[in-house]
Amino acid sequence: MRSFRYRDKGTVIHRLNPVGKLAWVGSILLLALILDNPLFLLFLFLSTLPLAIAARVWREWLSFMKFAIYLCIAIIIINALVSSHGTHVLVQFPFRLPVMGAPTITLEAIFYGVGMSLRLLAIISAFTILTFTVHPDDVMLTMIKMKLPYKSVLVTSLSTRFIPTLIDDVERITDVQRSRGLELDKGNLANRIRGRASVIIPLLSNSLDRAVQVAEAMESRAFGAGRGRTFYKGIRMSLIDVLTLAFALLPCALGIVMRLSGYGNYQYYPTLGGIALSSLEWSLLVLLVFLLLAILLLAYVKERVDLD
Amino acid sequence: MRKSHVCLALIFAIGTVAFIMPIFPSSPLNILLNWGLVSVVLVVLAIVAFFFEFEGAAIGSKEIALVAMLGTIAAVLRIPFAAVPSVQPSTYLIICSGYVFGPVAGFMVGAITPLVSNFFLGQGPWTVYQIFAWGLVGVTAAYLRRFGLNIKWLIVFGILWGYVFGAIMNIWFWTSFVYPLTLKTFVIAQLNTVWFDTFHAAGNAIFLGLFGKKTIIILERFRKKFQWVTFKPSLEPGPDGHVLGS
Repeated sequence: MRSFRYRDKGTVIHRLNPVGKLAWVGSILLLALILDNPLFLLFLFLSTLPLAIAARVWREWLSFMKFAIYLCIAIIIINALVSSHGTHVLVQFPFRLPVMGAPTITLEAIFYGVGMSLRLLAIISAFTILTFTVHPDDVMLTMIKMKLPYKSVLVTSLSTRFIPTLIDDVERITDVQRSRGLELDKGNLANRIRGRASVIIPLLSNSLDRAVQVAEAMESRAFGAGRGRTFYKGIRMSLIDVLTLAFALLPCALGIVMRLSGYGNYQYYPTLGGIALSSLEWSLLVLLVFLLLAILLLAYVKERVDLD
Repeated sequence: MRKSHVCLALIFAIGTVAFIMPIFPSSPLNILLNWGLVSVVLVVLAIVAFFFEFEGAAIGSKEIALVAMLGTIAAVLRIPFAAVPSVQPSTYLIICSGYVFGPVAGFMVGAITPLVSNFFLGQGPWTVYQIFAWGLVGVTAAYLRRFGLNIKWLIVFGILWGYVFGAIMNIWFWTSFVYPLTLKTFVIAQLNTVWFDTFHAAGNAIFLGLFGKKTIIILERFRKKFQWVTFKPSLEPGPDGHVLGS
C-alpha cells in the first residue's frame, strides 16, 4: 500500500528500456484486438509468460490473473446467452425472457466466448508485466518524449510524486481521529462513509495548502520562464534499446500485414471453421511468437553488454 | 488551427470511415476496423484533445500544482476502497473539483485519478476508458454550475453518473469481447454490472449528501486563494492626472 506496485527487482526485464517495454505491451494489445483465431490468441497469451517469469513477478501476475478469470467467465456466459447465430444448438430454453427472447446456447457462442477470453488474458497479462516492471516516472518520461502535451504529463508526474506523501497524511489523520475516539470502521455503509469524512475533510485542506507550497517552490525555480527544461533522469537509447524498440514494433507490423492478407482470422459464426492451420499459417505464427520473444533475448544481450 | 481541433477532426474522420465502411464489404480496411480497436483510438484522441486544451488553459505553476494535488487526493482515496468495489469517494471529489474549478481543471482531475491509482490497482486498456469517463464527470459538473443548481441536484447528478460511468466502462468490454454488437447485447452487458453501478451511484449520493457542501466551501476558499490578481500598473493617466506606477 505504501508505494507503487512496481518494485525494482533488478532482473533483465526491469533493466530493459521502458520505451521498448511500452511498445511491446502496445503491440500485444493491438495484436490481441485485430487477430481472432483462438490458436493465435492462445500463443499471444503464452508468449507473455516467459517475461513474467524472467521478471520474477509471477506471484503478483497470478493474483491479477485470478481477477481476469472472473472476467473470462462473464465473457463466456454473456456470449453464450446473447448470441443465437450459431448452428449447433446445445441447449434451447423453453421459456422467454423480456429482452432476450428464448435463450439458445450454441456451440459457436461458447467457442467465441473462449476465444475472447484468450484475447482478454493476453491483454491483461501484458499489462500486468507493464504495471510491475516499468517505473511510473519512466512512463511519464516516455510520454514526454512522445511529445504529448507537456503540462498534462507534468501534472501526472507531480501527482505520482505526491502519492507517498498523501498516503502518509491519510494514515496520520486516521490515527489522530482514532486517538480522539472516533470509530472509523464500524456500522453500516453510511456510517463508514461518515467516518471517512473525518479523514477526507482535513486531508483536503491540509494537502491543498501543500499544493500552494509546491506552486511557490515551482515559481521560485522559475517554472515556465524558459522554453525547454532539463531532466534529472533521462532515457538514453543505446543501440540495443533501439533494437528492442524495433523488435517490439515488428510483431505489430507483421500482424497488420497478416490480417490484411487474410491470415489470423477465424470463422466463429454461423458454423465453426476448422481449427487446423495451414503450414504457412504455422510458420507465420512461429515467426510472430519469435518476434514477441525477441525482447527477452535482447534483454539478456543488454545485460551482457552492460556488464562488459 | 488548435491542436485539440486536429484531434476532434480526426475523431470525426475515423468515426465517419468506421460508419461508412460496412457498406463496402470488400474493402481491406474492414478487416482492421475492429470495434474494440476503433473505440480505444477514439477515446484516446478525445483525451489527447483535452490535454491540449489544458496546455493552453493552465497558465502557471498554481493551476498545475492544484490540479495535480486534487487528482492525487481522488486517486489515494480510491485505493482503500478498492475492496468494496465501486463505493469510492473519487467520483464525488471529481464532481466537486469540476464544479468549483471549471471544465478543463475538472477533466484533468478526473484524468489523473485512474492514471495514477492504476499504478497500484493495475494498468490496462480500461485505464483509458476510466480517464475518459471520470474526465467527463469533471467537465459536466462544471457546466452544471452554470444552471445555478443546489446541492440536491448535485446528488441527482452523482447518481446519474454512477450509471453513465458504468455504461462508458462497459463499452470496452462490449466492443472487444461480445458478438454480435446489438442493442440487445449491450443491455445484457449492462445488466451484468448493474449491481456495481448501483453501489457506485449510492456511494456518490451519500458522499455528496454528507459532505459535498463542506467540500465545495473548502475548494472555493482555495480557488480565491489561487486566483489572486496581479497588480498591473496602468499607463493611462488616472483621474488626478498621474500615471500609475511611474
